[in-house]
Amino acid sequence: MQGSAVDLGAVTGDGKPGAENGVVQGALLVAFAEATVAEDDAALARAREALRAALGPEALVDAAAVTSNFERMVRIADGTGIPLDAPLAAMTVDVRRDLGIDRYAAAANTPPPSRLAATLARWAAPLMPLVLRLAVKRGRPRAR
Amino acid sequence: MFAIRYDAAAVPVRSDLPEAHTRAWQRLAAPGTWWTGAERVAIAAETRAAASCALCRERKAALSPGAATGKHTSVSTLSDAAVEAIHRISSDPGRLSKRWFTDLASQGLGDAAYVEIVGVVSTVVSIDAFGRAIGVAPQPLPEPQPGAPSRVRPTSVGDNGAWVVMRGGGMGNVMRALSLVPAEVRNLGELGVVHYFGADRITDLGATGRALDRAQMELLAGRVSALRECFY
Repeated sequence: MQGSAVDLGAVTGDGKPGAENGVVQGALLVAFAEATVAEDDAALARAREALRAALGPEALVDAAAVTSNFERMVRIADGTGIPLDAPLAAMTVDVRRDLGIDRYAAAANTPPPSRLAATLARWAAPLMPLVLRLAVKRGRPRAR
Repeated sequence: MFAIRYDAAAVPVRSDLPEAHTRAWQRLAAPGTWWTGAERVAIAAETRAAASCALCRERKAALSPGAATGKHTSVSTLSDAAVEAIHRISSDPGRLSKRWFTDLASQGLGDAAYVEIVGVVSTVVSIDAFGRAIGVAPQPLPEPQPGAPSRVRPTSVGDNGAWVVMRGGGMGNVMRALSLVPAEVRNLGELGVVHYFGADRITDLGATGRALDRAQMELLAGRVSALRECFY
């Protein structure tokens, strides 16, 4: 996944509708996600069939699994008012501003990083995948 | 024994999904940590009722959710505060606020009972969304099982910047958000493994093993999150 160019506007809905976005069959995947959330049965039936025809039945099931997983995760995040994890908050200042997601109501749950933290984070951004992997290893769930 | 099946789907569904959903439904029906089995199934019923609730629709359409007032179309005997929590988390999660959460607490909805509601609502929304996405009808809700909630509150939780207290540690906040009710964390983990990835593979950008590649999965995840206006 690293090293590929993708249009992040496809995520926020600022991309051209139906346009490819650097992800294989990305436009179909976006249409499927949008129809799922919009609760538009006719659009969902069309998107489902298009995805099945283009990527196969297993991919359709995986797409349904991922979209429904995130219908769960957004409710957990927004229902508990968690802030963005501090390193991520510092490293994503620019991309959040560019994507316009700082305007979401839940942005209020995340305090802005200090100028120093944001500067250091920009410098350290290339190391982010390694930092996240180490954090996951350190914090694997334990029996309570 | 009751089991969720997806035989009616137009495509074959890998077996780990209905198996995990069946276990989630069994946990839903059983006594939880702060709610009985009957109350947990009632929370599930309210989650579904939010889709046809006039107040929820009006609020969702309003510029500010506080602009619409009235009573929810409720299908249970749960308290008004619990019904408000369930309907709002279900129908308009992106515009919840700390003030709203504090108001619920002032109406007597305890923080741990609230966290269990978040766990149940998010589970039901997710399993219903999966069924809809593959074109099958919602599963019938399970029969509640008798018994009392355990009422065990973990001691290893504290203020870590969220509205609710949660465990500290190196895991991402979203993996610890429900840690005031550990049973809901286990439920989250079990469903996450079959819907997406286990916690140990989330940061492995090369992780595969699905028919979609990681970029395709993240595009779906990101688009759903953005449509729900989820900042996290």
